[in-house]
Amino acid sequence: MNKPIEVDIAALDLGTPAVSSDTQITVHIDGKPVVVPAGTSIMRAASLAGTQIPKLCATDSLEAFGSCRMCLVEVEGRRGTPASCTTPCEDGMSVKTQTSRLDKLRKGVMELYISDHPLDCLTCSANGDCELQDTAGAVGLRTVRYTQAGANHLDAVKDASNPYFSFDASKCIVCSRCVRACSEVQGTFALTIAGRGFDSKVSPSEENAFLDSECVSCGACVQACPTATLQETRVIDLGVPTRKVKTTCAYCGVGCSFVAELRGDELVRMVPDKQGGANEGHSCVKGRFAWGYATHADRVTQPMIRESIDSEWQVVEWSEAIAFASDRFKTIQQQYGVDALGGITSSRCTNEEVYVVQKMVRAALGTNNVDTCARVCHSPTGYGLKQTFGTSAGTQDFASVQHADVIMVIGANPTDAHPVFGSRMKRRLRQGAKLIVIDPRSIDLVRSPHVAASEHLQLQPGTNVAVLNALAHVIATEGWIDEDFVQERCDRASFAAWRRFIELPENSPEYLAEVSGVAAEVIRSAAAVYAQAGNGAIYYGLGVTEHSQGSTMVMAMANLAMATGNIGRDGVGVNPLRGQNNVQGACDMGSFPHEFSGYRHVSDDAAREQFAALWGVGLREDPGLRIPNMLDAAVSGQFRGIYIQGEDIAQSDPNSHHVEEALKAMDCVVVQDLFLNETSKYAHVFLPGTSFLEKDGTCTNAERRINRVRPVVPPASGMAEWQVTCALSAAMGYPMEYASASEIMDEIAELTPTFKGVSFALLDERGSVQWPCNEQAPEGTPIMHAQRFVRGEGQFVTTPYVPTDERSTRKFPLLLTTGRILSQYNVGAQTRRTDNTVWHAEDILEIHEADAELRGVADGDWVEVSSRAGSTRMRAHISDDIPAGVVYTTFHHPVSGTNVITTDNSDWATNCPEYKVTAVEIRPSAAGM
Amino acid sequence: MTLDYTQQHLIKMANQIAENMPSRENVADQIADHMLRFWSPSMRSDLAKIAVEVPGSLHEDVLTALTASD
Repeated sequence: MNKPIEVDIAALDLGTPAVSSDTQITVHIDGKPVVVPAGTSIMRAASLAGTQIPKLCATDSLEAFGSCRMCLVEVEGRRGTPASCTTPCEDGMSVKTQTSRLDKLRKGVMELYISDHPLDCLTCSANGDCELQDTAGAVGLRTVRYTQAGANHLDAVKDASNPYFSFDASKCIVCSRCVRACSEVQGTFALTIAGRGFDSKVSPSEENAFLDSECVSCGACVQACPTATLQETRVIDLGVPTRKVKTTCAYCGVGCSFVAELRGDELVRMVPDKQGGANEGHSCVKGRFAWGYATHADRVTQPMIRESIDSEWQVVEWSEAIAFASDRFKTIQQQYGVDALGGITSSRCTNEEVYVVQKMVRAALGTNNVDTCARVCHSPTGYGLKQTFGTSAGTQDFASVQHADVIMVIGANPTDAHPVFGSRMKRRLRQGAKLIVIDPRSIDLVRSPHVAASEHLQLQPGTNVAVLNALAHVIATEGWIDEDFVQERCDRASFAAWRRFIELPENSPEYLAEVSGVAAEVIRSAAAVYAQAGNGAIYYGLGVTEHSQGSTMVMAMANLAMATGNIGRDGVGVNPLRGQNNVQGACDMGSFPHEFSGYRHVSDDAAREQFAALWGVGLREDPGLRIPNMLDAAVSGQFRGIYIQGEDIAQSDPNSHHVEEALKAMDCVVVQDLFLNETSKYAHVFLPGTSFLEKDGTCTNAERRINRVRPVVPPASGMAEWQVTCALSAAMGYPMEYASASEIMDEIAELTPTFKGVSFALLDERGSVQWPCNEQAPEGTPIMHAQRFVRGEGQFVTTPYVPTDERSTRKFPLLLTTGRILSQYNVGAQTRRTDNTVWHAEDILEIHEADAELRGVADGDWVEVSSRAGSTRMRAHISDDIPAGVVYTTFHHPVSGTNVITTDNSDWATNCPEYKVTAVEIRPSAAGM
Repeated sequence: MTLDYTQQHLIKMANQIAENMPSRENVADQIADHMLRFWSPSMRSDLAKIAVEVPGSLHEDVLTALTASD
């Protein structure tokens, strides 16, 4: 295990944000020259010069506000004492930060603050971690002339409604940092200052309790608060942390960097890392607060086995569990052949953990039957972007969105599913970028405070390709093709074929309006916005991929970007928003049955021989089975044993009854996870996994950023997951010898061209790096395809619209589509074991008023949801976010079991399930489950 | 002949590939190539058996593709 990096506790807050300018100027701070970009504040310049000017309302994550009057300075040749946070430097300016006049002014202001602040520093939860306390010390405050006998706020009522933090108004200095953080950083605008003068106070929504307000519990206000006013409940309960470890969040594909702050081995809080490339100091409710599952009483930390799925679990030693699993796997191999076995890797696990599982399957089990959970989310991204651009990855870094002039969001809900990136996106939209949303639902981005979509293409589920073709048709026929880009960068023959296809009348908005449900003039308007606004960026999610034409749709988006020249620079691109924090990494690591790490096909002799030579074993040249194919083969008796790493396929995969039938049919199901779950009901071996707080390795987020996951506490089970996999591999006769996770990454780098320059040492030095990272790009690659496409020339692909087989009928007249909610995560195994359940205790069916009325369903009623695959029950919520004829729900709870009703329809190229279109009927149900 | 779930699913997947293959030129060749790159040998051989045992179940281009990859 590598030594955790200790964070620099004294990391500077420079007071105001960095300014970008081509002009550099020189100012003198207390006689010391410092060179800064024009427009930089005096406060920031002073900090860079090593002088910390006292401040309370300023912090470098927020724009200067100039309200606290602590940061006053003297500027030579100017009258008065301006606030250094709001005063920009000028070339040749000479500033004094410490004079007797300034000392007197600051002390006077500080006295006023302290006169209305509890004098309970010694017992305050922020004692030792309070900017008010620090600033009082910095200005040398020794006495307060004003007593607390006058009017004050010391008896203000504390708001403890939020499960994760409290608001103690008696400690509030009304600096507005929380209000500005909620607006500028998070973009929710849930907080304001109500009242005026002495009555001024922080108000969530309209003087609601935090829990009842529009607050999304991202923690930005807590982070920004300079006192103990907004304080984590854990800090109040446990005290100020004493040690820190940098690591990476385990939730969505944004992959936020955090500083885990502990007392001993007890985690006190997770603080978003300002240096984190993905999140730059921001967080969401899941990463910031919802990590309590790691120590939940439901954690299984000892290996277990059982003879059959009807037997009781037996707790055993690791050696016995490994021997039991390997004996069964060997028996299966002998009776049914090596292809009767397989494995599934997890995007919740590190690159190193994933790599050893796929290696074990290929080298020890002797089959290419290995797949990953990306099969059910972004496998069409891999297929589509490889066909068109040459590699299976998004094109941009997250910061690129700050340069976008128009943002097209397709089948994604960033404010709920990728909240930290959603906040970045909203910031750019508030600055004036235009927004096009293509989604059957009216997601929050369509209309939220200070953000409104210029176009919302509220299409019928299953008609993505029709709409993209119509957009491209307009762009081609209106003469908005970027001919220079296409001629210079793309394959001309494929472009000519695509142009002939896309200009056909059957791809016109008028022709496709009826099928898509989107009026032709809306399509034409959106096409003009995307093609003519400057930098056009596409961001998409599972509303694109989880369709029968998921791969076609990915290629349609790539066509659109290439045709308009929106590839290869800041502010443009085609960007998948990945569901889990290591979806990209799990795919990169060779988890697909047809590819080794780095997306090299198993039939590629040179690649296969390279792996075979290093691994010292013969490798198969044919693709193995994908997850749905494994399950089908299990039902027909050909597939008998599986190793499932960190996945709950019985809840997450479609057509749950079929999944259960397949699992029941197997002779040995090995589950490696944190908790007993729906899948483990059919398991024979349970191998305890490690939470993200116990892992040592790396994860790769949606922008190809490889981040370190560092062990914050030791593994609760006593073994790292990769060690368990290696033990099973050894028992199967193929030892995999690694002394550390770092050594696994070294092997990955040796075998994977895009990772050739990656090592733990490099990541520890640089913080993170975006692949490709090799001799050509030793510092990584934030923007891909800048000079040429990975495949050479961009390949246009014709994308005929083929309607899905799943259509509304008289029996099933509504179309169900599924998605996520902010507070819960995927199958909910983690978030359901946290206080996030206060926001979402059960899956809810959203139904349009007209459809509800027709069926006699009222808001809050229990309803039965039936499809041709099965039925379930849940409560209904009348919503105008969805059009008539469409219903929507989440899939976070096993009780409702949404995937009981989803079908076996899948993407034609990759078998990614068509979760987003299921024909259903809704009926009132007498009672809940 | 009664088809089991797995066989029905294979037929559906194969026909879906035929219908969705982006370029409509040389569709059979593209199907053959796609199956070679993404389908396991067992899936391909099971589909070949279906082609013989259940006439009319597969798209014409799928049948041509299977013949081409024999």
